[in-house]
Amino acid sequence: MNEPIAPVLHKVGNRRHEWMLRPEGRKTWQRRRLPLIGRHWLTWRGGHNPRTLERERRLADKRPLWWLVGLAGLVATAPFLSDAMLQIAIVFCVFAAINVIWTLIIGAAGILSLATMATVGLGAYAAAAANVYLGVPWPLMFPVGLLVGLMAGGLLALPSTRIDGLYYALLTIGVAEICRVSISQIRALAPQNSSINNVDSFIPQDWFLQRPGLLLGFASAFVLLLLALLLFRLVNSERLGLQLQAAREDEEFSEAVGIDYKRARLLVFLIASGALGVIGAYYAMLYRSISLNIFSLDQLLLMFAMIVIGGMGRAEGAVIGTAIVVLIDRALIDLGPLRIILIAAVVIIVTLTTHRGLADARSQFRAYRNRIKSERRAARTRKGGEVMPEEATEIADKQLIAYRRFDKRLRDRLKALITPELIEEHRRAPLGPHSDALARVMNYFRRGEMSDKYAILQEGDPGSWTYSVMALSGEPGKPPRVVDDRHYGSRDEAYHAVFLLRVNDLLES
Amino acid sequence: MSAILEIRDLSAGYGALRVLHEINLTVERGERLAIVGLNGHGKTTLFRAITHLVGWQRGSIRFDTHEIGGARSLGEGRRTPGIVRLGVAMTPQGDAIFPGLTVRQHLDCGAWSRRAWRERARRRALIFEMFPPLRKLENTTVGTLSGGERRMVSVGRALMTEARLYLIDEPSLGLAPVISKRVVDALRQIDVRDGAMIIAEQNVSLLDGQVDRMIGMHAGRLRGDVGHVELG
Amino acid sequence: MDASLIVYALNLSAIYALMAIGISLLWSSIGMLNMAHGATFAVSGYGALVIGGAVLPTVDALLQGSMLLSYARFVVLLAAGAGVGALCGGVIYLLAFLPIHDKANFAVRGLIVTLAINLATVQGLLWWFGPRQQALPQIFGFGRLEVLGIPLRYDQAATIGATAVLLVAVLAWLKLSRKGLEIRAMMQNPEGAALSGISVRRAAMPVMAITGAMAGAAAVLLSQSVFVSPTAGAMPLIKGMIIALLGGLGSVPGAAIAALLIGVLEAATGAIPFLGQRMVLLVQFGFIILVLIIRPRGIGGLLDETRK
Repeated sequence: MNEPIAPVLHKVGNRRHEWMLRPEGRKTWQRRRLPLIGRHWLTWRGGHNPRTLERERRLADKRPLWWLVGLAGLVATAPFLSDAMLQIAIVFCVFAAINVIWTLIIGAAGILSLATMATVGLGAYAAAAANVYLGVPWPLMFPVGLLVGLMAGGLLALPSTRIDGLYYALLTIGVAEICRVSISQIRALAPQNSSINNVDSFIPQDWFLQRPGLLLGFASAFVLLLLALLLFRLVNSERLGLQLQAAREDEEFSEAVGIDYKRARLLVFLIASGALGVIGAYYAMLYRSISLNIFSLDQLLLMFAMIVIGGMGRAEGAVIGTAIVVLIDRALIDLGPLRIILIAAVVIIVTLTTHRGLADARSQFRAYRNRIKSERRAARTRKGGEVMPEEATEIADKQLIAYRRFDKRLRDRLKALITPELIEEHRRAPLGPHSDALARVMNYFRRGEMSDKYAILQEGDPGSWTYSVMALSGEPGKPPRVVDDRHYGSRDEAYHAVFLLRVNDLLES
Repeated sequence: MSAILEIRDLSAGYGALRVLHEINLTVERGERLAIVGLNGHGKTTLFRAITHLVGWQRGSIRFDTHEIGGARSLGEGRRTPGIVRLGVAMTPQGDAIFPGLTVRQHLDCGAWSRRAWRERARRRALIFEMFPPLRKLENTTVGTLSGGERRMVSVGRALMTEARLYLIDEPSLGLAPVISKRVVDALRQIDVRDGAMIIAEQNVSLLDGQVDRMIGMHAGRLRGDVGHVELG
Repeated sequence: MDASLIVYALNLSAIYALMAIGISLLWSSIGMLNMAHGATFAVSGYGALVIGGAVLPTVDALLQGSMLLSYARFVVLLAAGAGVGALCGGVIYLLAFLPIHDKANFAVRGLIVTLAINLATVQGLLWWFGPRQQALPQIFGFGRLEVLGIPLRYDQAATIGATAVLLVAVLAWLKLSRKGLEIRAMMQNPEGAALSGISVRRAAMPVMAITGAMAGAAAVLLSQSVFVSPTAGAMPLIKGMIIALLGGLGSVPGAAIAALLIGVLEAATGAIPFLGQRMVLLVQFGFIILVLIIRPRGIGGLLDETRK
């Protein structure tokens, strides 16, 4: 405990790099807002440099820029891709749209539902059947998909209020299987193979699978993805999403402040189901056919793998996961079944190492680094000592640092003054007169904070008082605590006991 | 006669909070030791550090001939069963540790060694002799017992397999004085000739004359070693 | 309902019970939903096929013409299936339990990892054995025997008998041995269990192996009437899962009762003309959803309430 502190240099500071602008300080700050929702394009945080007093503007959230770069890059490269790669890009956009909406269900509403592909498939079948058998024109297939999606969502939502968490997840795994079996039963719907072909589409018949058709398909799929992201944003970051976030953090409390989170959850579930139905209709149009494959367990697991790799609950996670899985699944098609094993291996590795998927890996790493750092710091800290260098970067009031350093040095001086003779001097005359050394020590004690101080409790009858020592809590309203069970016969003894306690505290600090 | 437990420079804490500050403690064989101090000054953390249940820890803990200290790389609690199997019995601060098991099953849980499991009926009878009120509660679930009965079950569980180091955390917490007296009397009956017992307690008068040595604990440091203040 | 239908129902219930109790037991003891149970099922089927192919000729040669032959064949296959199943359980333990069992969000992460194992295993089997269905060696032939005037196929009798023996053995082990007690203690308070010298990691291993062995046994027993194929595990997994749900996850008696109910329901649905085999799943799901809406904790919850 008393070995000299070796001059070890520890790395200091853990501030993240932030993009900073230095605007002209005299100009008023004009911020543009998005139409309708009134949000800003980018979150800038204004402030001053405390030393130079220059105006500063920091970018608090870089994610919108990443989104812009990623999506713009996709659009810019698409026209130069080969036909096969373009098809992969289309698949990516469609699956990413589905996953973004799914993330809304899992992340925002907090319902672990695996019936997503069932909803998409039902929307697709209904829209395709409406087009092929009832002659509904293709633009009207979207409302058909929407209606069927809403209906499916309503049916699925019924048990979700009663059954919670994993139970519901297990139950919904079976839903796709039920859909597959039931649709294959309806002979009138699909004569061969239970698939509906020759669905009308926004892509002209003779462009189908040709270059212009593919480009048109990509453009539409990209728009679909943008719409899905917009829906995610509108639901997740507006009133509904905030209500649900409150509910996720504390259900009882949010209910107490008047948030009907069950209603909000159902509403989000319904909205997402409707959107999935629309995507289903789009899916049937894009490929001009729909088959039972969409309900297969493998397809569901593949989609689930995308969500899981990216991280459940965040839109960027859904998109990143989709990109990884679609690339492995479609681009490495020569590998055969091996590529599914590869995907499964990626899922296992990601799940074992990260808490909430790849999108969260960075913040998880930061949290880990901070934890290790603070543990190390705690192991090095001596109680009441100086401010550690890495702490100093986090303390805004630099005067505190100087004060703590002063206090540490003062205590070191005073510790040297404490000798058995000094204690003996105090025992003889607790109230003085004191020698210079004792007076210095006593002055330091008097100046201390309330939480470091002790009080003397006087009990018993006049003439036979007993005294005991109590520790003050230092917090208003919190009573002092008894330190030990010793009783002292005279007030001077009690004074001396308090002195010993303070000396003890001083030596330990 | 060598020391049964030797703690050198033990620091421990949870995250950024450091609770124990370089503790040094030696416990001799056959010793009954009490660690007294207020709530929140590290008594429980000391016990939890010995059984590797704290967030992080550094320093050496020598139990008999085994080194059980050191920084831990695995998650908390992963080394605990191994340490228990070396002969450390701890009664945690909480009450019923398995609220859904019956008293009898609860006691059987403590019989982790092969021999203790074979002899569990006889050993249960010994526990019931020590704590007569438990006898008629044998088949009730622990969750429905009163605080004193639960503490008896908890202590009884620790006694089912002979240990060399007993760590008893707050035997009087939340109990009526008469009952805590009974619990302490029972602790007094435990044979520690080959091992040692450490009791953490706030109520000093309860242990008066029941233990061989008392050490104060304040703000994460042992106070008996400092010398300027003598306690008890 | 005639007698043969009851036998059919019992036969189904037996196999479902083996799967569902394994799932339920894992959930109640180590808090993991093992979605790789289907993979264990499929792998064990192939394991029995390969080991049977290698060992059975020797057994035949040794016991040529003996009365014991078919029993020996049965035991060899069952042991092979159960052994491979237990091995699978061990692998799942190493991959999905050991690294994350004391980390955040274990229930969901365990579910995801086991799902991925399931996916990978099915694809691996497809890759190795091809999609062709294969039949396990017939053991008892198609003979029948009469018990209490009820005609019973040999394989049905063996399935029901073997399942009953296995389940009783597992339940007795859970009830009487120290391991069973440890498992119950572990679930209630992991820290308290650690202080009682119970290592969660050590206690979980046998549970994983035993539930795996149960799935393996189920695979061999079912393969007497259904072929072995890479995707053979999907249906038993889904059925086992929903039965475990119906039984109230974690309750072993609940799962047993639920398996019986579902077996009877399946046999009955299949027998009713206008519903037929293809509607079986639909009817089962409808039934289970209905039960869960009324009783969110399933039959196990019902049992707990009456006990109180």
